[in-house]
Amino acid sequence: MRGTSGILKGVTATLIAIALALCTGCGGDQTASPGPRDVASQPAKPRVALIMKSLANEFFLTMEEGAKAHQKANAGTYDLVAQGIKDERDVNRQVQLVEQMIAQDVDAIVIAPADSKLLVSACQKAMDAGIVVVNIDNKFDSGVLAERNVQIPFVGPDNRKGARLVGEYLAGKLSPGDPVAIVEGIPTAFNAIQRKLGFEDAMNAAGMKIVASQSGSWETSKANQVVSAVITENPDIKAFLCANDSMALGAVAALRAAGKLAAVRVVGFDNISAAQELLKKGELLATADQHADQLAVFGIEYALKMIGGEAPPEDYETPVDLVTAENL
Amino acid sequence: MSSGRRSYIFLLDYLGLTVVLLLLIAGFSVFTENFFTLTNFRTIVNQTPDAVVIAVGMTFVLIIAGIDLSVGSVLGLSEAVLAVCLHRFGLPMPVGIAACLGTGLLCGVLNGATTITWRLPSFIVTLGMLEIARGGAYLVTNSRSIYLGTQLGGFVSLRIGGVSMMFVIAVLVVVAGQIVLSLTAFGRHLFAIGSNEEAARLSGIPTQQLKAAVFALSGFLAGLAALISAARLEGVNPEDGIGYELQAIAAVVIGGTSLFGGRGSVVRSFLGVMIIAVLAGGLAQANAQEHTKRLVTGMVIVAAVIIDYYRNRLRASSVSG
Repeated sequence: MRGTSGILKGVTATLIAIALALCTGCGGDQTASPGPRDVASQPAKPRVALIMKSLANEFFLTMEEGAKAHQKANAGTYDLVAQGIKDERDVNRQVQLVEQMIAQDVDAIVIAPADSKLLVSACQKAMDAGIVVVNIDNKFDSGVLAERNVQIPFVGPDNRKGARLVGEYLAGKLSPGDPVAIVEGIPTAFNAIQRKLGFEDAMNAAGMKIVASQSGSWETSKANQVVSAVITENPDIKAFLCANDSMALGAVAALRAAGKLAAVRVVGFDNISAAQELLKKGELLATADQHADQLAVFGIEYALKMIGGEAPPEDYETPVDLVTAENL
Repeated sequence: MSSGRRSYIFLLDYLGLTVVLLLLIAGFSVFTENFFTLTNFRTIVNQTPDAVVIAVGMTFVLIIAGIDLSVGSVLGLSEAVLAVCLHRFGLPMPVGIAACLGTGLLCGVLNGATTITWRLPSFIVTLGMLEIARGGAYLVTNSRSIYLGTQLGGFVSLRIGGVSMMFVIAVLVVVAGQIVLSLTAFGRHLFAIGSNEEAARLSGIPTQQLKAAVFALSGFLAGLAALISAARLEGVNPEDGIGYELQAIAAVVIGGTSLFGGRGSVVRSFLGVMIIAVLAGGLAQANAQEHTKRLVTGMVIVAAVIIDYYRNRLRASSVSG
C-alpha cells in the first residue's frame, strides 16, 4: 500500500511538472499558418514570423494588434506568425524562438531583439538559411553587425531623439539651474540608455542640474520607492524625467504621497492609456508616442519587399511624437 | 528554566534584528543628508504595508514547513480583478474590495486544496499558481495598466500622525498574527505540524485542514496586499507583484523563521521587512547604482541570517545550560 501511494505521488508530481514546463514553454500564438509540409505543396504565400519581446507588455501587445490588423487587411499577401517571450530579458528564449522559426521554414523574421548584441548570431543563422530578417524597435549593435559582416535593416524610433523632445518641452516649463532627477529603465536595455541620454541632452542644453539618476526597472512600484527616496533626500527637485509611463505613474503617486505633486513636474514615455488620464488631469506633463501599431507593420512591409527580391532597404526611422494635454 | 532566563532569551531574539536595523539607520544617516528625519521615516514606513501583510502570510506558511511562491502573482491577479470591477464595470467600492479579497482567498484555497488532496509539495503547486495567476492578471486587464486615480482615495490619504491608515492596518495584522501564533491552540498546532507533521497527525491534530487553512490565509493576505498596493500606486499593472514572493521569503528568513518549519514569529518578520525597506530607501537616497543596491542587499540578507545562526546557538545553550 505505502509503496504504490509513493509511486503515485511521484508520477503525479512529474506529470504536473512536465505540464507546467510545457505551459511556460508556450510563447505566443499563430495566425492561420500552414504546417511546414503544406508550404512545399502549394504556391507559397510568404510566412512572416514576428518575434517580439514580452507579449504581455502593453507596448508589444499594441504592436502585435497592429500587425494582425495589417495581415487581415492583406490576407492574400502573407501569413503571420506572432511569437513573444515571457520576460523582456529572456534572451535565451528568444534565441530558441528564432531557431524554431528557422526549423519551421518561415520566409521572413521581423524581430524586436531582447538584446542588441546577443541576438545577432541567431539572426545570421536565419539569413544563412535563406530567411529575410528585419530588425524593429531595438536596434542591433552596429559594431557586432560590422564584425559579422551582415546587414540587417532597422525600422524603429530614435529613442534618444524622442526623449530629448520630451525633455525640451519640460525645460520650457522650468528655469535654468533647477534641480531635476531621472528615473531610468533597466540599465542594460539599449532603449533605456538612449532615453536617459536624450533626457540628459535636453536638461544639459537648458542648464538644469541633474542631481539624481536611478533605475526604476520599468516598474511602477520600484519607481515609486525610488522617487520617494530621492525627493526626501533632495526636496528642491523640480522635475522627474521617467523613461517610461509605468514609472511615471509610480512617480506621480510617490509625489502625491509626499505632498509635492503641485510643485514637481513629471514626464514619461510611451503614451499608454493610463498615462493619458494623468495628462488630462495635469499631473503628468508630457509623454512620447512611438506608434507601436505601425512599427511592426513597417517591418513586415520591408520584409515582404525583400522576399519579393528587392535589396535590403535603408534603415527607416519611425516618428516619435510629443504628447501633451494640448495635443491629446 | 527561570523566568529571568526566559525574558533574557526573549530579548535576545529581538535584539539581533533591532541592532541590525539601528546600524542601518545610523549608517545611512551618516552617508546621506536627509535620512534621520521624521518625514523620511514616515515615507519609508508608508511604503511597507503590502510587504508586511504578505510577510505575515509567508511566515505562517513557512512555519508549517510549506512555501507559497504564488503570493506575488495572486497579488497581481487580485489587483487586476479590483481594477476591472471599478474601472470597466463601474461597480461600487465595497464590491470591488470584496472581489479583490475574494480572488486572493480563492487562489489560496486552491493552493491548499491541491496540496493536501494529492499530497503534493507546496513548492510545485504554488509555482503552478504563480504562472496561472499571472496569466490571469494579464488576461483580465488585457495586458494594460489601469489608472484608478483617487477612486480608492479618501481611505488612502487618511493619516494618523503622518503614518498612513494602511500601515496601521498592516500593524494590526501583525499583532493579530502574533496573538494567533503565540496564544492559541491553532498556532501551537501549526508549530507542531512544521516540526514533525507525522507526530502531529498521530497526536490527533487535523493536519490537513490546518495546512489548507494556512494556504487560504496566505492567499487572502495577498489579496489584502493587492488592495493596499493598488491604493498606494493609484493604479494597477498586470506586472505588479513580480518578485514579491522572494522578497517576502528574504524578509521572513531575516526575521529568523526557519525555512524548514517549526519556528517563526510574525513580529520578527515585520522587523525583517523594515530592514529591507530601510536598506532600499537608504541606498536610493545615497544615489547608489543598481548593481551596488543588489550587492549590498544580498550581503545584508546573508549577514542577517548568520547573526540569526549565532542567536540560535546562544539561545540553545542558555536553554540547556
